[in-house]
Amino acid sequence: MKHNSFRQITPEMTDPSFIEEIKKMPGGDKILDCIQCGVCAGSCHARFAMDYSPMQVLKMAHLGLKDKVLSSSTIWICASCYTCASRCPRGLNIPAIMSGFKNMAMKNNVRAPIELKPKFHKAFTEIVSKYGRMHEPELKMKITNKANFNELKDNVTLAMRMFRKGKLKLQPSKLNSSTHFSDIVKNVLKEEAKK
Amino acid sequence: MKEPKIGVYICHCGGNISDTVEVAKVKEAIAKCKGVKVCETYEYMCSKPGQDMIERDIKEHKLDRVVVASCSPRMHLDTFRGAGKRAGLNPYLLEMANIREQCSWVHDNKEVATNKATALIRGLAERVKHLEPLEAQSTPVNRDVAVIGGGIAGILASIELADKGYKVYLIERNPSIGGRMAQLSKTFPTLDCSACILTPKMVYVSQHPNIEIITMAEPIAVNGSPGNYELTVRIRPRYVDTANCKSCDKCAKVCPVKKFSRHEEGLTQEKCIYLPFKQAVPNAYVIDRDLCLWFNKGVCRVCEKFCPSKAIAFDQKEETRQLNVGAVIACTGYQQLTPELSKEIFDGWDVFSQYSWGLHPDVVTNLQFERLMLQGMHRPSNGKPPKKVAFVLCVGSRMDKGIQYCCKIGCMNSIKHALLLLKAFPEAEPWIFYTDIRAHGKGYEEFYSNARDHNVKFIRGRVAEVVPNGDNLIVRAEDTVLGSQIEETFDMVVLSPALLPNFGTGQLSKMLGVDLGPDNFFLERHHKLRPVDSKVEGIYLAGCALGPKDIRETTVETMATASKVATFLGRGEVKLSPEKAYIIPENCNNCGECIKYCPMKAIESTAEGVKVNSISCTGCGICVPKCPVEAIDLKHSTDAQLMAQIQGTIEEDGDRPRILAFLEKTTAYGSADLAGQTRVQYTPKVKIIAVPSTGRVGLKHVLYAFANGADGIIFIEGDDSPFREEGIREHVNSMKKELSKFGVESLRVVSMTTTLPQYDKVVNLFQTFDERVSKMGRIAPEKRQKITEALAGGKQK
Repeated sequence: MKHNSFRQITPEMTDPSFIEEIKKMPGGDKILDCIQCGVCAGSCHARFAMDYSPMQVLKMAHLGLKDKVLSSSTIWICASCYTCASRCPRGLNIPAIMSGFKNMAMKNNVRAPIELKPKFHKAFTEIVSKYGRMHEPELKMKITNKANFNELKDNVTLAMRMFRKGKLKLQPSKLNSSTHFSDIVKNVLKEEAKK
Repeated sequence: MKEPKIGVYICHCGGNISDTVEVAKVKEAIAKCKGVKVCETYEYMCSKPGQDMIERDIKEHKLDRVVVASCSPRMHLDTFRGAGKRAGLNPYLLEMANIREQCSWVHDNKEVATNKATALIRGLAERVKHLEPLEAQSTPVNRDVAVIGGGIAGILASIELADKGYKVYLIERNPSIGGRMAQLSKTFPTLDCSACILTPKMVYVSQHPNIEIITMAEPIAVNGSPGNYELTVRIRPRYVDTANCKSCDKCAKVCPVKKFSRHEEGLTQEKCIYLPFKQAVPNAYVIDRDLCLWFNKGVCRVCEKFCPSKAIAFDQKEETRQLNVGAVIACTGYQQLTPELSKEIFDGWDVFSQYSWGLHPDVVTNLQFERLMLQGMHRPSNGKPPKKVAFVLCVGSRMDKGIQYCCKIGCMNSIKHALLLLKAFPEAEPWIFYTDIRAHGKGYEEFYSNARDHNVKFIRGRVAEVVPNGDNLIVRAEDTVLGSQIEETFDMVVLSPALLPNFGTGQLSKMLGVDLGPDNFFLERHHKLRPVDSKVEGIYLAGCALGPKDIRETTVETMATASKVATFLGRGEVKLSPEKAYIIPENCNNCGECIKYCPMKAIESTAEGVKVNSISCTGCGICVPKCPVEAIDLKHSTDAQLMAQIQGTIEEDGDRPRILAFLEKTTAYGSADLAGQTRVQYTPKVKIIAVPSTGRVGLKHVLYAFANGADGIIFIEGDDSPFREEGIREHVNSMKKELSKFGVESLRVVSMTTTLPQYDKVVNLFQTFDERVSKMGRIAPEKRQKITEALAGGKQK
């Protein structure tokens, strides 16, 4: 894992408007309440894989280090298990803030340190908004690098085993009114665009 | 009523007033007013010649009312009242019109400023006609003191006052005095033995001729007024005669019932008849009624048979006692956060659960650790000495809601424990997991650095979780300095729970009529300058009842409290302003409506009807408009006086909308004065009337103002008043409802709360309200007619 550490914080690195942007996203209104106690970092089960701890990401956000926050692996590795949120003494919804950062990173076209992650999130939302439910084969098809023969082979063997046990369905199961659900998604996106 | 002779004196203030206000024109207009005998102007009214002029005129023209139009009454009211007094005029017959801070300094147009000055003076000239001479009263005080709570604060306060010669009743809920400090091993940062410094004080208290200790007692009612309180105390039976008990322990040896010891924080067991602790004062046994076989099953009484001094008294009954005291000190202390309290405070979240509290015997609180230290340090699970000990700070403290404050003693206490542990077992390894180390007292930082020198490991990071692992405990946390997770195995985990106000603090505050702050601790009168006074004169506070603190700080506070009590009682009498509410017995039907609304609990229902306690009454006047039968009024701010001032102030001002602002006389009025001092310009349509509190102004006055030409009314209350925020909002909302019946738009009345420095908020309200009212235009004469008729109709009834 590449650690994008930095030794100095210079004025060019900080973006004073970043904190205002964060305050507008869900759960972001309380970000300045953080007392940097470290319960989130100590509780995090995925901490070993992150380049910065959740607490450090919050601190970097306070300081306006937008590029550092949006390019960190932490925001993508967060598994949204909510252990940190349930223990945070200041009532911060850290997974929600992390999701906000993911959105922001995608909107700003920041290259994610783990390329698969944004791809996965994109494919996931596409499928869910299409059917209203998840369809695993399609998701896998979307995120697998088809040029890589070994990866393709592994996936196909796995799919066969799952199919035999009845864990995979070839046809996506749909909501009764899946069109209705996709309408909701469309409307939400429209509202988002207005902002 | 005899026609009063009014003298009006208008000051130039060396141009401060006369540059904007055409003083001569004002004089001309005022001289025409009915009742005005003398109207003079002078360069500096507050100078000696100015004051002499007033004195001379009072004597010469036999003036019996005086209005001085100059600066703010906050500045010179006492000066001019003094001048009047020298000439034999009762101080309460002199009033000041504020034509500098609230007129000449805030307007630049000469014509409007002159008109406004005239209106303000006219209002007061009308008001003074109705004034009555008043005398300040005084009442003698009782020199005895009740101290509620027998912890270190209560003990020191009692000693301090008793040594000064005051009789003290020290009331303690538990069987022994001593409080939390009696449970401690050593104290930080000096590592003094806690019992060695506390027990001599306890003995001193018990032997002092001026102190009476009442244990197992709680106050259940507080009546009376500052200087003369009547405290009703409920005393629970001890079932042991304190005088006869020799503490020989023979009873406990034979008692068959065992229970967890409160003093040992539940770590050890004791018998159902027990001595609270070895050095208890009074040094007598006590029977736990809840567990005793005699009280539960009607059998046993074995202790009685074995007691050599016949001290067991099963026939003792609960009793109540009346204490007559002049002042009360509340030093009720703190309690530690428990899982039950945590669930209550944090909506069902038990902050202890993530630390395996209750799952492993080696997870203890810091108070239990104190007791373990005194018992000879050992692990509760296997009795062996602990090697690695983790101290977990901030358990339930510094949360976003519920407990937002710092427990203030956790850091130093844990450092103390770490050092004591190292002293007992030099090979031990104390680790302190902290959020921020707060070493803010004398010698504390040195204590902290001493601990670092002894290789105490400080980890900056709140502990995420404690997991039992066989005999040991795994602690997971983040070292936020290194940015890496820590997972270490420990023998023991010591938690530092948050401190809460002691149970019963809320009930006591209601009984005493004092406020609690947002943290549920008692609220002091002023954070900086009156830190141990409650809002009620005669009731003082000390120690952890005011908020978490250490022993040294408690001592300092206690000395301050004792000094405040001595000052209050030492005067021998309470001086009272005569500006108090009074009942008009002919009208009163004893409905008790006023009692409900009094924020000072100064109105009581007695056998001879409703009575106002003129000592407790602060003269806010909130009760007056609440009375449905006009049977209560406020001296120096009577209905007649207020109506006259309203009429005089707004009756003439051409065709422009007229706005009347009722400002609470201390904070809100002071805020408007501050606007004048900074020369902020605002609309001259607003004319300010000072009232004791905006709650004094009722619907009647508002209607009267609208009937007589007002087009908009502003209420501004001070932030320190009992009537702020909800009080004033409800008051004004109910008014708006009534006004709409007369077709007066509810937007014509507005209210706000302000602090003294927020004058820009006040000015902003004046400006926006002026814009609003100007847009709405003046009220139609027909509507005014309707209101006038309704008011007249109401009077005939």
